[in-house]
Amino acid sequence: MTDTGIEIKNLSFGYTKELLFSNLDLTLELGNIYGLLGKNGAGKTSLLKLICGLRFPEAGSCSVLGREPKYRPAALLEDIYFLPEEFYAPAISSELYQQLYAPFYPRFNPEAFQEYLREFDLRGGKKLSEFSYGQKKKFLLAFGLATRCRLLLLDEPTNGLDIPSKSQFRKLLARAGEEDRIILISTHQVRDMENLIDPIIILDEGAIIFQQPMYEVTRCLHVGLEQVQPSGDGVLYTDKTLGGYVVVRKNVSGEETQADLETLFNTVIANRDRIGELFAPVGKEEV
Amino acid sequence: MRDFSIRRLGLLLRRDFSAGYKSVFIAMAAVGGFVILVSVLSALGRELGSIHFQLYFPLLFIGGFIATSLSFKELYLNGQGVFYLTLPGSSLEKFLSKLLVTSLGYALGSLFFYTAVSSAAEGINRVIFGYGHAFFNPFTRRVLLAVTVYVVTQAVFLVGSVYFRKLAFIKTNLYLWLFGIVLTIVVAVTAWVIFRDYAVGPRIGLEPYMQELGRSGELEAVLRPMAEKFLQVAKVLFWGAAAPVCWIISYLRLRETEA
Repeated sequence: MTDTGIEIKNLSFGYTKELLFSNLDLTLELGNIYGLLGKNGAGKTSLLKLICGLRFPEAGSCSVLGREPKYRPAALLEDIYFLPEEFYAPAISSELYQQLYAPFYPRFNPEAFQEYLREFDLRGGKKLSEFSYGQKKKFLLAFGLATRCRLLLLDEPTNGLDIPSKSQFRKLLARAGEEDRIILISTHQVRDMENLIDPIIILDEGAIIFQQPMYEVTRCLHVGLEQVQPSGDGVLYTDKTLGGYVVVRKNVSGEETQADLETLFNTVIANRDRIGELFAPVGKEEV
Repeated sequence: MRDFSIRRLGLLLRRDFSAGYKSVFIAMAAVGGFVILVSVLSALGRELGSIHFQLYFPLLFIGGFIATSLSFKELYLNGQGVFYLTLPGSSLEKFLSKLLVTSLGYALGSLFFYTAVSSAAEGINRVIFGYGHAFFNPFTRRVLLAVTVYVVTQAVFLVGSVYFRKLAFIKTNLYLWLFGIVLTIVVAVTAWVIFRDYAVGPRIGLEPYMQELGRSGELEAVLRPMAEKFLQVAKVLFWGAAAPVCWIISYLRLRETEA
């Protein structure tokens, strides 16, 4: 590859002797807002940390924007903004924060930052420590977007945001997705990310078991609402819902139906082995 | 060098100097008040010797070692470690920034601060009593030597700061004590092995031998060059090697730190 994306090859990593990732392969390309989904302990945060050089692989390679994150080179860090779930906001005013930290990012856009703050309804003159959890997160999100880094890593970004803020977040992020940028969002809050993240990556037990764009999902899976719970080999997943059953089958008719992320996730997790046969091999059909 | 930029180092220095400025002001106010109080009280008792070097010495060393031990604390705090390690700057730049702030920065800052505070204290003495202690002179050889020794010795606490997750100051001191004890035991055992023929019960009795050598002048001829060589090596190790070795260890540890 390419000095323009992320390429992980045969990566092994673990916190104990038992490896979390073993021979992990993953390729991410610029111009996408990737959604990283997985159960608790699947390794989503660890993967983000490996990508930004906070954790070091035990074997294999990890190349991010053409550099090895393991060495945390300054030129790479200038192009990465990582907002972790447990973030840090120093006890200084938003203005001082901007003065101290914006110059670290050569492409920081102060006008855009002010605009994002306005959209998030955040006013200056207050110390970050006086902000609520959600306000701090919005502030850091606004800052991260304004850095114009080519790689934006967001770990559970909508946790703690109120309903209007989630909507603002989606709008801002949709606007921020540029051709020369990768946004990788790790989340459990799949409903908040509906119609935003594409392609979808699903991580389970330390392995990428699914990585497909939404058009592939629509092409390969048929989602319908049925009155009676169906059974048989053609059924991949069913879930009781108001008014019947959501049923996911292999799309043989070519009809386009929309799978919500939660249904997609549950379908993939319930059909780890079969899902590979339905879709093209992981990463090969990447847009 | 692609991973070093003066601009980024400047940004990190600005950030490191401005971090915790409130705590620094509170500490300065407390130390300043203490210095003025001690100065006035000792003038009241007409103890008019030079007190300021004795007061500056602990401020430089104890204060500096504590400040140094706290310098990498953020590396191990929840959230802060991630923030610091992903801040655009190489490990070298981050290390140099912390080193400059806690070594030269602290030494020069404390020197400037103490000169100002002690001058104020002596001004007050002269207004109240019409006399006072000698003013603190930051340019004496003794003060400059103390500053140089501080810059060398604080490197050990910098290693402690980057190594220990919690209580770095206490742990570094404990390790220094442990190192001292181990060194003493090694020296004692080595001496015992070499001189065990002169053992008189549990102790080594070299006096008769030494007296004989001393009389003949042999002792002087043998031991003096050895002692001088030893002192030379010790000086080179202390002034030339101790701090750089500690800096390299700190830098490598910072580079290897994960969050």
